[in-house]
Amino acid sequence: MGLFVNILILAVIFGFAGYQIYRAVKRSKQGKCAACDYDCEAKKMLNQSKKRAM
Amino acid sequence: MTTVALLGNPNTGKTTLFNELTDKYAYVGNWTGVTVEKKVGQIRHSHTKVIDLPGVYSLNPITKDESVVTNYLLGHSPDLILNVTNASQLKRNLLLSVEVLELGVPVIITLNMIDDLKRTGHYYNLKTLSTELGCPVRTTNARNKEGLTELKADLVRDQSEIKPNLPLKLNYPLMVNQAIRQAATSLTKDYKVEPKFAHWLAIQYINNNKVVRKYATMHQLKPLLSQKAYYDAQKFDDQIFETRLSFIEKTLASATEQLQSTQHVAITSKIDKVVTHPIFGLPIFVGIFYLMFKLSFDWIGTPLSGYLDGFLSGPISSWANQFLTQAGALPMLRSLIVNGLIAGVGGVLVFIPQIFVLFACITILEDSGYMSRAALVTDRIMEMIGLNGKAFIPLIIGFGCNVTGIMAARTIEQPKERLITTLISPFMSCSARLPIYSLFVAALFPRHQALIVLSLYFLGIVVALFMAKFYHVIFKAKEHSVFIVELPQYHIPRLDIVWHGTWDKGKGFIKKAGTIIFAGTVLIWLLSNFGVRGYVTQIDQSFAANLGQILLPVFKPIGISTWQPISALLTGVLAKEVISSSMMVLFHTSNQTALIAMIGGSFTAISAYALLVFILLYIPCFATIGTIKSETGSAKWAAYSVISSLAISYTLAFLIFQIGSLLM
Repeated sequence: MGLFVNILILAVIFGFAGYQIYRAVKRSKQGKCAACDYDCEAKKMLNQSKKRAM
Repeated sequence: MTTVALLGNPNTGKTTLFNELTDKYAYVGNWTGVTVEKKVGQIRHSHTKVIDLPGVYSLNPITKDESVVTNYLLGHSPDLILNVTNASQLKRNLLLSVEVLELGVPVIITLNMIDDLKRTGHYYNLKTLSTELGCPVRTTNARNKEGLTELKADLVRDQSEIKPNLPLKLNYPLMVNQAIRQAATSLTKDYKVEPKFAHWLAIQYINNNKVVRKYATMHQLKPLLSQKAYYDAQKFDDQIFETRLSFIEKTLASATEQLQSTQHVAITSKIDKVVTHPIFGLPIFVGIFYLMFKLSFDWIGTPLSGYLDGFLSGPISSWANQFLTQAGALPMLRSLIVNGLIAGVGGVLVFIPQIFVLFACITILEDSGYMSRAALVTDRIMEMIGLNGKAFIPLIIGFGCNVTGIMAARTIEQPKERLITTLISPFMSCSARLPIYSLFVAALFPRHQALIVLSLYFLGIVVALFMAKFYHVIFKAKEHSVFIVELPQYHIPRLDIVWHGTWDKGKGFIKKAGTIIFAGTVLIWLLSNFGVRGYVTQIDQSFAANLGQILLPVFKPIGISTWQPISALLTGVLAKEVISSSMMVLFHTSNQTALIAMIGGSFTAISAYALLVFILLYIPCFATIGTIKSETGSAKWAAYSVISSLAISYTLAFLIFQIGSLLM
């Protein structure tokens, strides 16, 4: 496997992990629904209406 | 598009009915307060939209979430209201129905859980009910889909096909009637309010409905505002209540029919005599929880977990290693994938069996009807510390996830009590902490796994209750919330509800494995493979080791003698599951059995228990901290929660380790 592919895979893994940590911190700042991992009906509706509004 | 609003008392099976009608799955629980915000669904193959509103006892709201319904009626005009009632509790349920019928919007009343009523040996003559109430009355049993086809046919009509309803007119005392008429007439004449709505508005205003009064003030409805003092002085609200109640009693008396069998009621009350017994109730509650942990840890969960671990750390891990070596991956990438991701994330995933079995047990308890009894049993203890059984529900939900637990505290109406419940919620042992408990109990308490985990759960409850009492005294909370809990008839849990409930609670865990646990594992791998000199091969020279060693003196008094658990604890703030995956990475082990052996070597029973207590109570995870901040509306409370839990956890772990070491 070439050095480039190695570095690419490493970058993807680190990038994804970094993004997840960033997202967790951001979501917990929003609190309430956003911080909860529980994808209930109310939350799905909320997300849908947000998408529509955008 | 036809809009149908689903409305009714709490725990009448509205959400189950909503799911059956709309082919959508929403969270169902056999207790009060499951629907906090309104949900919308569509009946399949139709143009009918169904709105599931939170359960309320009356349109005059007591709690925050109850005002959702009244506000909805003030601002929207649904084409049809489906009033779901609990057939066995009709007298109380109709108090709400009367208020809705007075609105004059087409209403269909359904007597749900009709089987439970039949088992009490009663039945109602639907024709009589329909004539007296002036609207169609149906019967359903949402749980086994009885009567749903007929009900669906009633709902999927076009707007034009729905028959209009006349508002229900009750014979209120003369003075009340006159007041309603006068107000309604001038609202129609001077403010162009639609006559039916004006009539309803007047009744609700006179009846001291807080939301309607706010609405009148906002819209400057003078005919109502100017008479407020008069209405209140004459105690018209009491008279309205009396009239409604006697109307309902009369209607029910004329519609009641007797049936023969009462066997089921006898069974429910026989079970209740035992499980809600003032003395035995609590031990039974503890016993049921013990059984739950026995199932999850000793009998089903751990053996299954062993197989899963064998598979992940054996074939999967060696296959990945071989593949990466052959493909010519750099040693660093291989270490990240095999020793980091597969060992770390896999190390958390192997606990899926325990977690799912536990969630299945909790769902069975919810669906059978036992949870309401548990709330009743704990109410007596909660009463002693100044909270009530209502706070028990958010706390039990907190066993799943503290965030949802804190959200559920919204059903508590007193702000101080709500704040207290929010602050003590993180002490409830959420499911994210299970993996790390599993590891330690397997390493140091193999024969008493369930007992040790049970003791941690109850220690969490005890600390929560103790802190609640403390806050109660500090905040000088005097006012009390009312705790009304309905004791539903016991059901045999339905398999699909149990499966859905378990999956709903558990899928968050699997999702987290792919997101935050993954990220936490990568972070700890980085910290353990890099040091001040860059990439290191000796873990002792890594950042994780440096950090752990700096903090080691602080943790020595609570029995931690190696740096690895300390670094793992730091990552636990991301999500508590990450503690387990970090331990896996930091101890450089590829499978659970090896890690268990390592832990067994570096801890004693006492120091392990002290660490578990510390993990139970220390800093809440990011998501929980964020929720505390947004629910209390202040960063100070969130910061306070972090500091206080750290202080409490350290003190308790210190006491346990020091006293335990003296005794041993």
